[in-house]
Amino acid sequence: MRLNKEQEEMLSGKHGRGTQKAIEILVGLAEAQGAEELVKISYAHLMPPDVMFFPYGRQGRWAHEMTHELTMDIDRLRVTATIEPLFCDLAIAKTLQFSDDMIAEMHKIQGAASDFYERIGVIPNYSALPFYVRPGKLGEHVSIAESIAILWYNTMFGSRCERDDGVTSLSAAITGYCPLAGSHLSENRPGEVTIRLGDDLDFEQFNDADWDAFSLASSRLCREKRPVFVGVPRDIGITDLKHLFAVIAVESGLAVMHIVGVTPEAPSLEKALGGRKPQAEYVVGKKELVEAYQLANTTTDKDIDFILLGCPHLTLRELRELAEELDGKKIKDGVNLVAVTTRMLLEQARDMGYSDSIQNAGGIVSCDMCIAFAGTQVTGVIATNSIKADFFYAGFAAEGKRKVRFGSTRDCARAALTGKWEGRVP
Amino acid sequence: MKQVLKGKSIKKLGTVEGEALVTTDLVAFWGGTDWETGDIVEVGHEAKGKNVKGKILVFPAGKGGAGDTFGYYYLARSGKAPKALICNRAQNTTIAGALLVDTPMIYGFKEDVVKLIKSGDRVKVNSDDGEIEIIRS
Repeated sequence: MRLNKEQEEMLSGKHGRGTQKAIEILVGLAEAQGAEELVKISYAHLMPPDVMFFPYGRQGRWAHEMTHELTMDIDRLRVTATIEPLFCDLAIAKTLQFSDDMIAEMHKIQGAASDFYERIGVIPNYSALPFYVRPGKLGEHVSIAESIAILWYNTMFGSRCERDDGVTSLSAAITGYCPLAGSHLSENRPGEVTIRLGDDLDFEQFNDADWDAFSLASSRLCREKRPVFVGVPRDIGITDLKHLFAVIAVESGLAVMHIVGVTPEAPSLEKALGGRKPQAEYVVGKKELVEAYQLANTTTDKDIDFILLGCPHLTLRELRELAEELDGKKIKDGVNLVAVTTRMLLEQARDMGYSDSIQNAGGIVSCDMCIAFAGTQVTGVIATNSIKADFFYAGFAAEGKRKVRFGSTRDCARAALTGKWEGRVP
Repeated sequence: MKQVLKGKSIKKLGTVEGEALVTTDLVAFWGGTDWETGDIVEVGHEAKGKNVKGKILVFPAGKGGAGDTFGYYYLARSGKAPKALICNRAQNTTIAGALLVDTPMIYGFKEDVVKLIKSGDRVKVNSDDGEIEIIRS
């Protein structure tokens, strides 16, 4: 591995133990990836374990063990940085069935961690959608620890980042470097397979849940291979893109993909494939879409206990759809609806009257927290519009105490009013 | 019968030997695997119900969120980690998790390891030379 003078100095300990540990981690990772050098980054998105990853009990202690050596003598970062959501809004933790002891510990660990990151200059966006605050630029190298954001910066902006985790992105933000490997290199970016919609379906008729299901069906076909989507409407908006990106980022573990006519490295199918022939050409038809809905619905129970929305954070369109369904009505007694967005979007939703409509109906509107993780404590049947959250709700239910219903934002809102699931399947 | 395959090792951590658990599906350690038991719990997963503890885990590639690395760390801290990781394509989040707790990991073989190795095979993993040996009696 080649290191420059600044990197050698960091490694020698001249810039303190935190910086030394950070560059040790990056050099180890670079060697594991087969990288020959580190590359300068211009931005980082952080996922500190003590902010987001169940900040109580054993995990709370382990979070500290993973990062304390990195952060103990750090008072600034070398690049602009944003940060993942906090684990839980303490004001609603009881509704999400956390015990008083857990909440007290959460308050301490998550509170101290977020204070620390704000003190060293991290932008307190607390969201998996940092592009609202700090958009990417074509060809710039960045380090991001959040699966949808990694896929978004690479694909939508043509920025370059690998699937960095919380320890790696923190190390990158401390040193200003990350390994020059994987998706940072042009050779690892072109699409490998194509995905089209079957003739029996029409993107123009898709609601938000259909995009999630399409994304799950796509990932079951392309698996770890980088797909190029063909035929996606050029005017696709941020809400539908969010649903398309969130699921496949987790289910396929992709860093980069392409959408012909929409994303910067895909002006044409040929360009998106880097001039090569696709290794496979897949079609997602009605059968595959319905299968995805069946996989995402882990129960046939109709009685709903919780409606948990906001993984990743709800967009204004989703908040508006919720408000339209709930306005002037009442959520059924015993049913809890929690809608989570970013602080910035909540401000706008207030101005537009959306949060009033939701709250007056008896719903909870919150911001800056992770409803996917914080929702894994509840007992009963959860309705959600997110297959990404579904993955975690179902995954952390080994004892079978939690089941999931999946459907559109509007179907989730209607279930809140009646307590009954009547979600539409295409 | 012995068969030796050559790949890229993430770190020199000596040689380990164990029983292979092979899955044809991508593996997530956070949400897809229960870090307290080592069971693969993902709905619809080909290896759902199998346990990864102490196994030579053979899989096409990792998946999951960026938090998958922490998931692997928690799995290891609760004593339920595999003995070694063998995969075709190495996800950065998988490498980072293995590095945090020093699990030997080899990837990028010429051959498709998921097709070549069968669950139950004895596999010797030499992380110093980036070689794995499939031992069948």
